[in-house]
Amino acid sequence: MLVLDRVGKVYPNGVHALERFSAEIRRAEIVAIIGGSGCGKSTLLRAIAGLDRATSGAVMLDGAAITAPHAKIGIIFQEPRLLPWLSVADNIGFGLSDLPAETRREKVARALARVGLMDKADAWPRELSGGQAQRVAIARALVPQPEVLLLDEPFSALDAFTRRDLQDHLLDLWTDTRPTLVLVTHDVDEAVVLADRVLVMRPRPGRLFEEIKVNLTRPRERNSPLFGSFKHHVLTALDRSLDRSVPDRDAKAGVGGSMWW
Amino acid sequence: MAMTVDLPAIERTDAITRRAPAGLARYVRPALGLLLPLAVALAWEMAVRFSLSSGRLVPPPTKVFATIDELARSGELGRHVAATLTRVAVGFGLGVVAGTLFGAISGYWALARRLIDPTIQALRAIPSIAWVPLFILWLGIFETSKIALIAVGVFFPVYLGVMGAILSVDRKIVEVGRIFRLSGPAMIRRILLPAVLPAYVVALRVGLGLGWMFVVAAEFMGASEGLGYLLIDGQQLGKPAQIVAAIVIFAVLGKATDWLLEIATAPWLRWQDAFGRHSGAP
Repeated sequence: MLVLDRVGKVYPNGVHALERFSAEIRRAEIVAIIGGSGCGKSTLLRAIAGLDRATSGAVMLDGAAITAPHAKIGIIFQEPRLLPWLSVADNIGFGLSDLPAETRREKVARALARVGLMDKADAWPRELSGGQAQRVAIARALVPQPEVLLLDEPFSALDAFTRRDLQDHLLDLWTDTRPTLVLVTHDVDEAVVLADRVLVMRPRPGRLFEEIKVNLTRPRERNSPLFGSFKHHVLTALDRSLDRSVPDRDAKAGVGGSMWW
Repeated sequence: MAMTVDLPAIERTDAITRRAPAGLARYVRPALGLLLPLAVALAWEMAVRFSLSSGRLVPPPTKVFATIDELARSGELGRHVAATLTRVAVGFGLGVVAGTLFGAISGYWALARRLIDPTIQALRAIPSIAWVPLFILWLGIFETSKIALIAVGVFFPVYLGVMGAILSVDRKIVEVGRIFRLSGPAMIRRILLPAVLPAYVVALRVGLGLGWMFVVAAEFMGASEGLGYLLIDGQQLGKPAQIVAAIVIFAVLGKATDWLLEIATAPWLRWQDAFGRHSGAP
C-alpha cells in the first residue's frame, strides 16, 4: 500500500506547491490525479518517486518512507527521455544492469515483443515516432517489474489517436503484473478510461479537492452513457476546484474532520 | 495477393534509386571544392609560363612541389615534419589531459568552479603568445618551452568545452539515471560521459587546431628544425617556394590529423542526429 500522509512542498522561492495531501492507494489500484495547472500534481508525483523530497509529511510504501528513488517505484515522464546513445533494446534494459547478460537479453526481448517493437530493437531512439518512443519508455519502466508505476502526463504530447491506442496498451500491459498506477493527467477522458479512482486537486496551494470512484468494468466503452456521466462528474468537480468561492475539503476537515459531501 | 507481393518490390527499387546518386555524389561533391583552388593554381602556373609574371616572390605550383620533392629526397622534410609533429603531439596530449581534468572538476563540482574558474578565465584573457618570454626564462629555449606554449594553447578550448558540456547535460536525462538509482561512478560512466562526448570531440578538434597554430609561434621563437624553422629559414634566405611548401605541408598535416581525430571518434557518435550527416545538407 502506498500511503501519502499530509504531504506538503514549499519551494525555496516560497511557493506553496502542495499542502497536506493525504491518500491511501491500494496495491494494483489505478489512481488518476487531475487538476488545473499549478495545483501541484507533478510536485506530488516527484515526491512519490523520491526525485524531490516533501518539505512536510511523508510518503510511505509498505511502511517504508520514500526519500530517494526506490527500486519498487518506476516513473514514466511526459517526454520519453530515452538515452539517445543507446539502441532501443539497450534503453529498455537500462535498469537491468545488475542482471546477467543472458537474463537481461531475454527480458528485453520479451518486453519488446510485448510493446510490439521487435523490429526496432537495434534502432536509435531518434528513428522512432513519438508514440513508439513513449512505448519504449513504458517498456523501460515496466521491465524491472515495479510495484508502483508513476505516470506524469505520459501521453499529453501525442496526437489523439496515438494517445487512445497507448491508453489501451497501458491497461493491457498493466494486467501482466498489476502494479499500482498513479497517473497525473489533465485529460478527463484519460482519467476516466484508466482509473479506479480520480483525485481532483485544486490549485494555489495544491490540495486534494474531491475524490471520485469510477465503478466501471474494463474494458471501458468511451461512448457509453455511463462513461459520459463519469466524465461529466469529473469535469464539474474540476470546474468547482478552480472556483475560489467553493470551500475545500481540507478546510472542512480541519474543523469537523468528516467529508463534507 | 499480387498487391502484397508487389509492395516490397516497389520499396526496393525506390531504395536503390535513392542510393545510386548518393554513391556517385560521394565522389563528385568533394571534387567540387577542389575546383576553385585548382583553377587558381593553374592560372598562376600559366601566368608564369607565359612570362606575364616572374614568379619570383609568388612561386608557381610546379616550383613549390619541386621544393617539397627536393626536401623529401634529402631527408630534410622528414626531419622537420617529425620535429613539428612530435611537438604538437606532446603539447596537445598535455593540454588535453590538463584541460579535461580541470574542465571535468569545474563542471561537476560547483564549489571548485567558483574557486578555480575565475582564475582560469582571467588567464585565458592573456594572449598565449605573451607567455613566450616567461616560458623561455623558466624553461629554456629548447623543447620544453615550445611544448608548454602549445599545451597552454590547447588547454583553454578543451577546458571550456568539457566544463560547458558537463554544465549543459540535460537534467531530464540525469533524472533517468537517478530513477534507476545509479551510483556516482555509474552516473558518470553511463549518463554523463556519453552525453558529454559530442561536445568533447568538438573541443578536441578546436584544441588540435590551436595546437597547430601555436607550434608555428613556438618554432618562430628559435628552432633549429621543424616546419616553422623552414618558414623562418625561407624568409631569411629569400626562398619563397620553401615558405609556400611549408605552408602547404602545414595545411595537409592539420587537415590529416583533424580527419584522423574525426575518424577515431566516429564510432562513439553514430547515434547523433546531426544535420548534414544524413541527407540534411545536399
